[in-house]
Amino acid sequence: MHHNTEYHLTDKVLIDRVLRGDTRAFGAIIKNTENLVAQIVFKLIPVSEDRKDIAQDVYLKAFHGLSGFKFQSKLSTWIAQIAYNACLSWIEKKKPFLYGATSDDEIYFEPTNTTRHGASNDNESEKRVFEKELTGILRREIDLLPPVYQTLIILYHHDSLSYEVLSQITGLPTGTVKSYLFRARKMLKEKLLSKYKKEAL
Amino acid sequence: MNHSHPSESQIQEYALDKSNCTTEDIVHIESCAECSAGVKTYLLLFTKIVEQPTPVFEFDLSTLVVSQLEHANSRLSADHFVAGFLVIFSSCSIGIPLFIFRNNILYMFNDVPPFFIYSILGSTSVIVIAKILLMFKKYQNQIRLLNFK
Repeated sequence: MHHNTEYHLTDKVLIDRVLRGDTRAFGAIIKNTENLVAQIVFKLIPVSEDRKDIAQDVYLKAFHGLSGFKFQSKLSTWIAQIAYNACLSWIEKKKPFLYGATSDDEIYFEPTNTTRHGASNDNESEKRVFEKELTGILRREIDLLPPVYQTLIILYHHDSLSYEVLSQITGLPTGTVKSYLFRARKMLKEKLLSKYKKEAL
Repeated sequence: MNHSHPSESQIQEYALDKSNCTTEDIVHIESCAECSAGVKTYLLLFTKIVEQPTPVFEFDLSTLVVSQLEHANSRLSADHFVAGFLVIFSSCSIGIPLFIFRNNILYMFNDVPPFFIYSILGSTSVIVIAKILLMFKKYQNQIRLLNFK
């Protein structure tokens, strides 16, 4: 498939094609990077209507700034940086709403909130239900962390980004990224332990 | 066995990559039930974070943006023409008088008292410094906002 091969072209080739006026190549760049952008936008922006505007804005900014991209990082890192900064600007503008807003992630995530209600009595099923429950609890606990902690912990552990890449995306020094991640992990561990007895874990 | 427990950051480091830990810490953690439990909790935490569902935009972002770009491209030539005209017009408005009066420009400042020039330079510097401080304060506010809900 032409489209599939397009998604696997290198950053350089795709950028050259976009700069020569091939907007379809920019579509491939979007497909290649939108998961990373979604992670950032979903973690920092609790209002779903605004996510659409921000996501579009991120890519329009990336398109217009593409000629200035100097390959000092991966293209995905650069776009993630734009996304992070766009989210910061949104937070700055909509501060009052942020505190009262509730995340409507439930609509877009697979449901993880399983209860023991439908589980059979055998140990294996119970274990699976417990594991699912734990994933759901952890998701809610991550959502309660400060936004920058949420973003860092998900990008580091879920998307396997390095400290250096996280530092480039957020503009924070690597030491600060490490320290924030340490605190975030510790907070999550303590919250999990307070929900479940140590023996259960 | 070392009786003082390794710090929380060392326990985290062990769970992340034990090759970064000292032999002393490794020996302690592997023989201490409390520290091993801490490591197990972290490992479970990391596994569960990996299992978190990936968020997906509920719209086709690629189609949405590309269609906007194509629409913008059709308007681009007209915008380019207007922008080009404005650039040329502004350059001419500034450049032509400068060229015509190039021999007299320096004389314009002869009668300006030095105090006046210094006050202009001074006030400009104050404004620039104030702007930089404001930018720095804004940056700090953004970081504070992100760190504490």
